[in-house]
Amino acid sequence: MERSPVALDQNFSGAAGDFPALLRRKGLLDAAVMSPMPQAQGAQKTWQPTEATTILAFKFSGGVLVAGDRRATAGNTVVYDRADKVLEIDRHSIMAIAGVPATAWEMARVLEHSFQYFRRTQLQEMSVDGKVRALSKLLRDNFGFVMQGVGVVVPIFATYDSHPKPDARLYFYDAMGAQFEATDYAATGSGSPAVRGILYYENNWGAKPLHKLSQDEAVSIALRALDTAAESDTSTGGVDRGGKIYPLMKIVSREGIITLPESKIAAVFKETVA
Amino acid sequence: MIEEPYRWVEAIANRREYIEAQLAPGSPIAALGYHDGILFLTVAQTRQKLFEIYDRIAMGAIGHPGDIERLRMAAIELASTEGFTRSAADVSLRRLVHYSLSPVMKSAFEQVYGAPFLARMLFAEVGERAEEDLFLRVEYDGEIATNGATYAQVREDFAVLSGTRQSGELMEAFLKSQHAADASFEATLNSALDAWSIGHMSLLASDANELPERSAVLKHRQEQLASGGIEAALLERDANKAIRYRALLDTELRPLIND
Repeated sequence: MERSPVALDQNFSGAAGDFPALLRRKGLLDAAVMSPMPQAQGAQKTWQPTEATTILAFKFSGGVLVAGDRRATAGNTVVYDRADKVLEIDRHSIMAIAGVPATAWEMARVLEHSFQYFRRTQLQEMSVDGKVRALSKLLRDNFGFVMQGVGVVVPIFATYDSHPKPDARLYFYDAMGAQFEATDYAATGSGSPAVRGILYYENNWGAKPLHKLSQDEAVSIALRALDTAAESDTSTGGVDRGGKIYPLMKIVSREGIITLPESKIAAVFKETVA
Repeated sequence: MIEEPYRWVEAIANRREYIEAQLAPGSPIAALGYHDGILFLTVAQTRQKLFEIYDRIAMGAIGHPGDIERLRMAAIELASTEGFTRSAADVSLRRLVHYSLSPVMKSAFEQVYGAPFLARMLFAEVGERAEEDLFLRVEYDGEIATNGATYAQVREDFAVLSGTRQSGELMEAFLKSQHAADASFEATLNSALDAWSIGHMSLLASDANELPERSAVLKHRQEQLASGGIEAALLERDANKAIRYRALLDTELRPLIND
């Protein structure tokens, strides 16, 4: 029987405000099949998904700085050099992605709508814990694709919690959906080992710890870290000096999200990195 | 038997009478388009009556809370899935109401063995310019009234919702003479409060069929505001924001009222 376009469920209570559940009910969102694809031993992988790499985030004096390089690759091919991996989810939340953008952008879209759907139906804002968990659930639902070798996503989530103790909060995830709260910094993607090394060094033995950096100093560290990652990792774009393509950076604070203008990043780059 | 045509007509008439009686005490809601957006306003007793539906769409309703809730959920679900699968720009209030809500409400009303929706709703969608603002009032039987212009009717930049037809008509008559689409926020707020007072006075004195004296309106308004809270929401015309809905607090509005 075809459902009426207006589904007026009398017993609508179970998953109140759960947008992914609504999408599933309407057949607009399918959970990935949980069995790994049967692959012949030693079979050549003939197709490789587009992947985005190397994102980082750390807390500084003005909130959380989230930065990502702009390169998207498929195997050893550069697909795109202006990819946007730092995505605004709502007024105070940013999701940055490493992994397959096709899956990640869809996740960001589901997440963005989930938060709004919750607020509209339940007449209150979703808590930070609820938001963090919502992303975890999406990753978990996607694990079937990860097992098939396509669609792995490893995001960073940065947000500002106004209750109960107002503070910027930073989380990173693994591909299965485990969430880890970071006290100082987080980095994921293929270039992340280098980035983590730099952030660890700066935080412990740098001129000052990360959380005391000014905005310009924070931008400078982020640029140096991404440029270092690009030095040894072919999948990371770093800074394209010829094409004048700079990493994308956003800042989350109590006032909301600001996207740093390219001119500002270029100025810091010229002064302290190049 | 109810299958016989004249019995059906009778049953429908009884049902209409019953619903009208149930809705009659509903406190009025005014929605006024102005320079920077659309202001929704009512003086609330207890229950929330103004709701966010989607990025550019808001709703006000009177009736049974259970029915309002089901219709509100349906509207949010439809708008959200449309906005998700296509884009926010594809979510249209006209389609939402004409193709989805109205037919369902009509058939619930006319199927005399089932329960009708005990609700009357006012929707607004903010446009890029004031001329593009859309107001739709949906009745319990699926009937739709709009602010649209025809050869005989000028386009209006406001809409009202009230318990009785007379109350609503008096509010409309007042707004037609007092409200301008390019008004400031403060003037709009005061017009909305006056319109609400006029509608509310009409509900209390059902024989009144003319606009009350200015002084009587002000007196009524003061009395009601002393005991009730202003419930208001804004749909902003700011194209830089995706989400235009913003609930306004009683405390931020009080200083702007001219007594």
